[in-house]
Amino acid sequence: MNLKDISTSVPKKDHKGKVSGQLAYISDLKVENMVFGVLYRSPIAYGKIKSIQVPDLPLGYEVVGAEDIPGPNYVKIIKEDQPIFANEWVNYIGEPILMLVGKDLDILYGLLEKVKIEWEEYQAIFTLEEAIKQKAAPGVTMANYEFGESLEIISAIEQGAHQIIEEEYDTGYQEHVYLEPQGMLAIYKDDEIVVQGSMQCLYYIKNALITALDCGDDDVRVVQSPTGGGFGGKEEFPSMMACHVAVAAKAVKKSVMLVFDRSEDMVVTTKRHPAKLKYRTALDKEGNILSMCVEVYLDGGANVGLSSVVLQRALLNSAGVYKIPHFHAKGYVLKTHTVPNGAFRGFGAPQSFAGIESHIGHLSKRANIDPLEYKRKYLVKQGDPTITKGNFRDPILMEEMIEDLLNTTDYKKKKVEFQTFNHHNQRYKKGIGTSLFLHGCGFTGSGERDHIKATVKLFKSKDDLVSLKISNSDMGQGIYTTLSKIVAKELDLPYEKVSYPYPDTKEVPDSGPTVASRTTMIVGKLLERAAKKLKAQWQNGVEQEVTENYVHREMIPWNELTFTGDAYPAYSWGVNFVEVEVDTLTGNVKLENVYANYEVGKVIDDRVMKGQIDGGLAQGLAYGYLEKMTSKEGRIQQKSITDYGPPTSMDVVSIQSKVFDNPYADGPYGAKGAGELTLIGGAPAVQAAIEDALQTPFQQIPITPEVIIESLWLREGEEG
Amino acid sequence: MAEKIIAYRFDQVDQTLSQLNKEDCTIIAGGTDVMVLYKSRRGVPPKITKPIVFIDHLNELKQVYKKGKDLHIGACCTYSDLLNDPLIPTPLKNAIKTIAAPAIRNRGTLGGNICNASPAGDTLPLLYVYNAKLVLRSVSGVRIVAISDFIQGVRRVDRKSNEILAEIILPSELEEGAYAVFEKVGNRNADAIAKVGFAGYIRTNGEVIKDIRFAFGAVGPTMVRSVDIEKKLIGKTIPLAGADIAQVLSAFDKIIKPIDDQRSTARYRKTVALNLLRYFLSRKQYQHN
Repeated sequence: MNLKDISTSVPKKDHKGKVSGQLAYISDLKVENMVFGVLYRSPIAYGKIKSIQVPDLPLGYEVVGAEDIPGPNYVKIIKEDQPIFANEWVNYIGEPILMLVGKDLDILYGLLEKVKIEWEEYQAIFTLEEAIKQKAAPGVTMANYEFGESLEIISAIEQGAHQIIEEEYDTGYQEHVYLEPQGMLAIYKDDEIVVQGSMQCLYYIKNALITALDCGDDDVRVVQSPTGGGFGGKEEFPSMMACHVAVAAKAVKKSVMLVFDRSEDMVVTTKRHPAKLKYRTALDKEGNILSMCVEVYLDGGANVGLSSVVLQRALLNSAGVYKIPHFHAKGYVLKTHTVPNGAFRGFGAPQSFAGIESHIGHLSKRANIDPLEYKRKYLVKQGDPTITKGNFRDPILMEEMIEDLLNTTDYKKKKVEFQTFNHHNQRYKKGIGTSLFLHGCGFTGSGERDHIKATVKLFKSKDDLVSLKISNSDMGQGIYTTLSKIVAKELDLPYEKVSYPYPDTKEVPDSGPTVASRTTMIVGKLLERAAKKLKAQWQNGVEQEVTENYVHREMIPWNELTFTGDAYPAYSWGVNFVEVEVDTLTGNVKLENVYANYEVGKVIDDRVMKGQIDGGLAQGLAYGYLEKMTSKEGRIQQKSITDYGPPTSMDVVSIQSKVFDNPYADGPYGAKGAGELTLIGGAPAVQAAIEDALQTPFQQIPITPEVIIESLWLREGEEG
Repeated sequence: MAEKIIAYRFDQVDQTLSQLNKEDCTIIAGGTDVMVLYKSRRGVPPKITKPIVFIDHLNELKQVYKKGKDLHIGACCTYSDLLNDPLIPTPLKNAIKTIAAPAIRNRGTLGGNICNASPAGDTLPLLYVYNAKLVLRSVSGVRIVAISDFIQGVRRVDRKSNEILAEIILPSELEEGAYAVFEKVGNRNADAIAKVGFAGYIRTNGEVIKDIRFAFGAVGPTMVRSVDIEKKLIGKTIPLAGADIAQVLSAFDKIIKPIDDQRSTARYRKTVALNLLRYFLSRKQYQHN
């Protein structure tokens, strides 16, 4: 491959099948001897099952439940707290209890209605507020961490402070709304079960299946099918579906397909954790920060799943991109009897950045300084310590990126223009807001070295075609293209001669899950090294295979108990400027201009990166003002895309973005993580813009029209 | 395993009407509401119990023409048809542009929006303030009813099982000095179901109000309109006095009774409905359209 610059775009590998609509997704598949599965789900939030009555089943229809699981009844993730089929306690509305299988879905739906369960119902915890009140009760706190400056020192600082500002900030659910709802198929064979479906993490699923089926490594095989979006929603959740179909296939000796429609998917799959963040900040007379304490509460839902890891990332980002003197943080994952919350692009960071950017913005008002100017006073610089006593050892380009956007937007002039506009327009008010943010790339701490231990292989056939053997999923983000490109360029082969088949655990080693903005940086680097190795020993016309294993970057060792050390090997950075116009009669917010600068080391493909920017930022902006999901007595209220309201092309404006080069030695061609970063700045920037337009502070996202009208109404009351 | 479905697609309106006279059927024009209403879970076809009569192809039901001061709109005109028709008034076009997205607008019809009688029907507030009349046809002939009489409740309309809605008449659209406005408040700018809809209509002679009307959508089981409240403003001059505006607002405050649901809150709906009304009433002048 003869690209002068790796960033130059090439056609996406999966472009044709997707654009032509020819590509078959899991729900398009039919295999021999296949039946459908449907799940009977708990209609109550918290209770004990006393008896289960299944109606008489017609020939060819069978019931599958906990007693059919060969191994222990839990989905292997971190803790053993998520049953495959709840058979004793149920902990949320929608929890799977049993599965009915058979040929005809219509008959299956009819049979589901006739399943009768007797319960002993208990008082459930429905909201994070209730859980916070009961956090000392047994089982409510599912994980907690605390670190930072000693509370004695902070207490002394607070006593001498000019004032202490306390704020509470709430963030809501966010739903992934991947285009393709979840789906999984278990193909039954005499000697193995093949599980195929929409997924991000093949080996998470394989490990869960080995446990659930109590079988050997060769008895199960996991194959990724084309995946129409993941956003974290297909990180851990598919493991449960895989257990359902595999257990069922084994029990009924048929292939079993389980596919959700949109409403089932919206009601029962994991969401972004609703959070409450509390800030307590000591200020001097000029409004300078003397100390800050942050508390983070995450609504884990009914089981812990990945929530403890999500909390870690939330805490690690709790100071944003700032060097805050005397910083202390603690956090909790609390149990509620609601649908379990899980991985979602950003993984705890979006909540923290929304909170800290909001808080710092409000502090700047008190200091009577423009928010951006105030933020820049605290911006971390190369060589600064992190809040966990790690080190920002690589160059940081934030100042350059900010300066660039100040010029592009003509920020100061615009602020004055907007003031004049707002003065003359009774109905519409314009505002501009900014956000500064980073994203730690890859797994937290030594996760890559201690838990993931990624391995990649490159295989060369006799006709000198090279294929990637890795377990990572292209879910639309473009790694078929970017990773193939890295290998092709390194081997100096035409792009077409490098292929990346849909991964199959029988064929590929464990190169880790497709999460945490790790794929390009970590797996890409391993592939780059593998390609170098293959090039060195290249023999025309001979079959060859090379293997590469993960090598850890030297850094300050991470200690999970004390929360000290380098939490991440590298950071990607971003700056967003957002302009809005708010309709004060309806509270509707219109995006007018969106500007985004990012630094991700080195872009591997310009168009793929632009896809991440436009999609990620739209998702992040919507998290701040548009997408609204609520739970009422344990029941998700929005069951359709229309009611939930993710942005359409009519809601998002063309995003003006730039990416700055800052090559990172341990990434391929200098690349770092990019996928999650793009989401993080959206919500805080849109909040700041709305606040600027209305000259009113908010303490929550999403700032929906309902929130805006309520706040204008309250303000009118105050002003008489 | 699929169950047998009986469906009719006649070439003429007359044949359609005579079938409807024999048999109670589900009428499908664009189908964008019917198919959602009868939707089953994944993998199972919709369950429509009655035979289906398709009317979307009947040219007789797709005409737009002027007759005296009245504008006649065929009930089976799709939204896209209407957007391209020079006779359709701009405020109605603006309302149509807020409906769903292009694919739905290529199928959905104005008649369907009326017969579906959703509390959030996007064209309904405007049709109410236009005093739209509906032409219902059956084998026994033609019956004309006011839209406000036709729509009786949530998805409940005064259509006899042998009738079809054939035309919508906008009687006052072409009157001189008339100005109409529509505002839809949704959670996003496309594919959204209204949280509040507002239509205002005013006809002035100089500065004197000759006629004024308001209708609100999505804040009750049907559109909220009050001729009694409107009457109080007739004869007043523009701009309206603060006390007159306050009186109208407080009168509507009493009759707008929205609910909380998964899309919004009662309080929001009411506040915004009244905000939009206040804004309409507070104008210094009204551009005729």
